[in-house]
Amino acid sequence: MNRALRSLAVIGVALVVFGPLGLIFYQSFLSEAFFSPTAHFSFEAYRYVLTDSGFHSAFGTSLLVSSGMTLISVPLGSVLAFLLARTDLPGKKWLEPWLLVPIFLSPVVLAFGYVVAVGPVGFFSLWAKALIGRVPWNLYSLFGLVLIAGLTHVPHAFLYVSSALRSLDPAVEEAARVAGAGVWRIAVTVSLPLVLPSILFSASLIFLLGFELFGLPLVLGDPAGLLVLTTYLYKLTNLLGVPSYHLMAVVALSIVALTFPLVYLQRRMLRTAGRFAVIGGKGQAFRPLPLGVLRWPAVFLLVLWLAVTVLLPLVGVTLRSLVSSWGEGIKLSEVLTLDHFRELMVYPNLVRGIVNTILIGAIGGALAVVFYAIVGLAAHRWQSRWVSFLDYLVMLPRALPGLIVGLAFLWVFLFFKPIAPLRTTLFSLWIAYTVVWLAYGLRLISASLLQVKPELEEAARVTGARQRLVYRDVTLPLIRFGIIGSWLLIFMMFVREYSTGVYLLGPGTEVIGSLIVSLWGTGALDLISALSVIEVGLVGFILFIALRLGVRLHA
Amino acid sequence: MPDLIAENLEKQLGTAQVLRGVSFELQEREILALLGASGSGKTTLLRSVAGLEQPDAGKIEIRGKLVFDAASGFEVPAEQRGLGLVFQSYAIWPHRSVFENVAYGLRVRRAPEAETRQKVGAVLERLGLGQLADRYAHQLSGGQQQRVALARAMVYNPPVLLLDEPLSNLDAKLREDARAWLREIIKQTETSALYVTHDQTEALAIADRVLLLDRGLIQEEGAPEQIYGAPANRFTAEFMGSNNRFDGRLAEVAGARGKLEAEGWTLWGGLRASKNVSEAATGLIRVERLHLCDGPGAGHLKMKLSSSLYLGERWEYLFHLGDLRIRVWGEERLPEGEYWVAVPETSLWIF
Repeated sequence: MNRALRSLAVIGVALVVFGPLGLIFYQSFLSEAFFSPTAHFSFEAYRYVLTDSGFHSAFGTSLLVSSGMTLISVPLGSVLAFLLARTDLPGKKWLEPWLLVPIFLSPVVLAFGYVVAVGPVGFFSLWAKALIGRVPWNLYSLFGLVLIAGLTHVPHAFLYVSSALRSLDPAVEEAARVAGAGVWRIAVTVSLPLVLPSILFSASLIFLLGFELFGLPLVLGDPAGLLVLTTYLYKLTNLLGVPSYHLMAVVALSIVALTFPLVYLQRRMLRTAGRFAVIGGKGQAFRPLPLGVLRWPAVFLLVLWLAVTVLLPLVGVTLRSLVSSWGEGIKLSEVLTLDHFRELMVYPNLVRGIVNTILIGAIGGALAVVFYAIVGLAAHRWQSRWVSFLDYLVMLPRALPGLIVGLAFLWVFLFFKPIAPLRTTLFSLWIAYTVVWLAYGLRLISASLLQVKPELEEAARVTGARQRLVYRDVTLPLIRFGIIGSWLLIFMMFVREYSTGVYLLGPGTEVIGSLIVSLWGTGALDLISALSVIEVGLVGFILFIALRLGVRLHA
Repeated sequence: MPDLIAENLEKQLGTAQVLRGVSFELQEREILALLGASGSGKTTLLRSVAGLEQPDAGKIEIRGKLVFDAASGFEVPAEQRGLGLVFQSYAIWPHRSVFENVAYGLRVRRAPEAETRQKVGAVLERLGLGQLADRYAHQLSGGQQQRVALARAMVYNPPVLLLDEPLSNLDAKLREDARAWLREIIKQTETSALYVTHDQTEALAIADRVLLLDRGLIQEEGAPEQIYGAPANRFTAEFMGSNNRFDGRLAEVAGARGKLEAEGWTLWGGLRASKNVSEAATGLIRVERLHLCDGPGAGHLKMKLSSSLYLGERWEYLFHLGDLRIRVWGEERLPEGEYWVAVPETSLWIF
């Protein structure tokens, strides 16, 4: 790849990132939707939103939810990371893949699963009521929302902390053991403090993700009247009857204003994190720390978390899809049915949604990986200011919740008339998805590229191969497995994606995720549960293949 | 015409000045060793010649053809310089068989298939890899990988073969065999070679000429015997071999000879730096040049044996005389006591 092509790739990324963002920025200073003939420059939207008490309380709730879920997921994730990375926890090989499963499940499906499992009339709630006379929990509360958000984000903390722990020199723990410390004391005084930078990094990441939550607060917060920033934005659509794009733009920008500094902070943290690590020998075999009497309590903790976070909602949603109705006094065995799945086939838009989901995952995912690979190769071993520019560039979409990227692309397709016809095709969805997962995808690609030792490429150059041949004959063949792995991971992410498609939803662009969100407004629980089961089945199938192929489930 | 001319190469990496004006010529069919400790700039120099690094200043010519000139901003990319490079890590492509690794240079040159097969077959045969053509890197031993890397670099007859510590990844025993074999192979081909190493024995054994680098500068260049046996400067004298050091004062100068003096001893040696009488000076002598003798004489010092180490092929004795501590090699265990050590005047260099 020569200079011009590399620069072109960077410019392409800049275009898809800055285009939508610029449009939001522009829209926020207009008095009405940008296509309205009477729209003019105005601070009116800012004045309205920033003085709206609804916005204030949504902001407060977002802050509470973000902090609360961080306080739950980081300690729990860190302890689980220590148990799996450093100790002789029984069955850890078998349990570890399950720890990452929540990452691949759509939050809206999980949230819905909780509703039908432990909501006021959920399966488990009614069974509990039959047993002890009342439902001992209240799902529709701030506490319920924070708890579930915290539990479902444990994998994010687990990922970063466990990878840091794995690169820790076992000798520092062995030294503590020899000095007489027990396993719990080693964790608290040696291992976890040494990976503190990674723990803080995961905390800031989860705090950031808290502001981008959409599915969980939409499903779980709404009945209790709890609005967070994203659901406040979503509700604005219906608030005034007319498209209140200018107000939405302001809310979107205020979310970005909160998340962007966090993304920037993480970048700084990541840069300094390396300095703290005590990197040990090259992954030499070491004896895991014996848990002793803590063995079974530790397994119990892990299994309990899995049961509550994965099993409970999935069992709920699966059961719900198989019963004709559910409520007090109904016996499960009398209402079992497959009707909901048959009913799905009656609605052409739902059938299209299922087909589109597979298309966008398989083909769209593949195209996205091609795009990420081109950008990744463009930046590969290129000493240039463009590369640091690109680094900053891919930070931006990370600060953008999918809901906002989807909204922004909707506007892009409305604003630029020549590409307007594409809005009702899967292309609009594909490009929005690709931008939302840009940072993730590039991280997958660059993780593969990092495995290619520079000498392997240099050897080809010295032997006489031009850059293009080096990529064709050496770099790409060496990362082909990484590319396939990236495709499977992106495939799953695109299948589970829901918020990005919300604003782009229309005839031709239906996908399961956004259909569930829109059906949630109508209360069609039967259809939602059937769609959810299909989505989970799809993700589970790809996950199974990925695990069989030995794909690393994280970048 | 020399195969390679490097003129005044300079290179800054980060804040470090890795090369500070290095010039050398590589003659036809010559093996030139770039010897230096880590951080001396030897690998950067090799990579600059290969075109993998771009020097900040200087000029490089290969067989009379300019390939790099910092002043005019001219640079021939690595792939068009036509050189062969053997990497320290070998850099065998793991997704290609031995045959395909070696054939690659011919394939990018669009050689006819028959010629490619014939040439690759010949070079594999010559390097003793004939049976291994279909294997992959992970099925090869370290020594075999090293030979594949060499075969890949020489199959298209490059004008200059570049070798970056090619033996450093082999175990000690294998390395000794490999260096004799490697010199023979390079000599049989009609090519010249630039050989980077930090191992002085290897440099002395393989090269026709050695270029000693330190902190980005050439300290000395010359034939192996000259570099080791008659170094022109103190850095080279101390860098090469195992040495004893006599710190003292220059008491007398007689032509090229000098008399070195300190409390308790006086020694004559060859003066190798311009020094005035009564200036501080240092005498250096290779450990193997010292020996024990029977009694007093010119250059004989009476010293106390403080310890003996058994090194397998010899004994190493540590002697004291006041502040002076020297090492001497010998054949047998010595009982404690005082001994006479002979310091031959012709082997003692005064700097």
